[in-house]
Amino acid sequence: MVYARKLGTTTYTFQVSGRLWRNSLIMVDRETGTFWSQVTGRAIDGTHRGSQLEKIASVETTWKKWREAHPETALLKKSEAVSASHYQRYFDDPERMGLFRAQWLAEKMPGKTMVYGAAIGPHALAVTDEALEDRLAEGTLGDAQVVLARGRDGGVRGFVARAGGESITFSRDSGSGNYSDSSGSTWDLDSGRCVAGPRSGERLEVVAVTPVYWFAWSNFYPNTQVIDH
Amino acid sequence: MIDAGNQIPQGTKVYASQWRIDVKRTIGFAVLMGLVGLPWSLAERPEPQVVATIGGDDVYQVLPVGAIPAIDEPEFVSGAEADRQMRPKEPVLGVVVDGEARAYSLWQLDAHEIVNDEIAGSAIAATW
Repeated sequence: MVYARKLGTTTYTFQVSGRLWRNSLIMVDRETGTFWSQVTGRAIDGTHRGSQLEKIASVETTWKKWREAHPETALLKKSEAVSASHYQRYFDDPERMGLFRAQWLAEKMPGKTMVYGAAIGPHALAVTDEALEDRLAEGTLGDAQVVLARGRDGGVRGFVARAGGESITFSRDSGSGNYSDSSGSTWDLDSGRCVAGPRSGERLEVVAVTPVYWFAWSNFYPNTQVIDH
Repeated sequence: MIDAGNQIPQGTKVYASQWRIDVKRTIGFAVLMGLVGLPWSLAERPEPQVVATIGGDDVYQVLPVGAIPAIDEPEFVSGAEADRQMRPKEPVLGVVVDGEARAYSLWQLDAHEIVNDEIAGSAIAATW
């Protein structure tokens, strides 16, 4: 997950607080000591309690796919050799779900199922990795129709499916990997930009997507909409 | 004579639930993997403390602040040097801001969790 560090006119720097809440990282800013949830970007305790950091769309994928889709990419330099995840055993064990019990755990599917979560205010939806595969998933967040799509770089991005005040339904073009709408416009859902047709140049509003284990997402959003097929 | 099979030595905590045992195992595992280098041994490690309850869920202090060090002055490589540092299937967190693409190895972020970064003039926090 990626967040803007600027709130109002102040730029914050974040540390790892060593605290866990709902089985997820709590960040703490150096400037005010406010505690922020990594999953929601909301301040849960301290001076800025109730404030919300702006989410910036990001993806999880493999280096190979990312590098092919973004050949000019910069990479955070490694100062030491790392050749595996510290947490691989944790990832591989279906029984180990975080460290602590949270009050909510929706038992709709196994806790370690990987989902793509998106939220606007109190509204949340989760799409299973299996359900998404290569296609597009359509859901609702409050009043907004949203789509989640897997891009050429393997990452999943979300958008509000609306342009020029109208709702859009997308269908995938075979071959190009782009999507068409009923106006005959062509959309690139890696960037959310309309690349051809009457809506050419328009941009969809971005909805940040969080790849997350189901148990953690349901710790935060027990009433989340689920798209699993 | 003490029968070790039947008696619990004084001062030993009896765990009420599997959850707490799991906590200890997981933290112990992290320490064994060198994830966190702390000044005290595992035997003396304090239990995670509930420091607050927010929205009905407890907040646990598991490690001291900054025990997992965030990266504040990130450096970057690209091109062939980036390829040399990475494996093809290595998972990354990827972000594009104003056309500028950046990737962070998730294996590397295991030990840092937060990068205080700036892309195309925008201050961002990449978190894992």
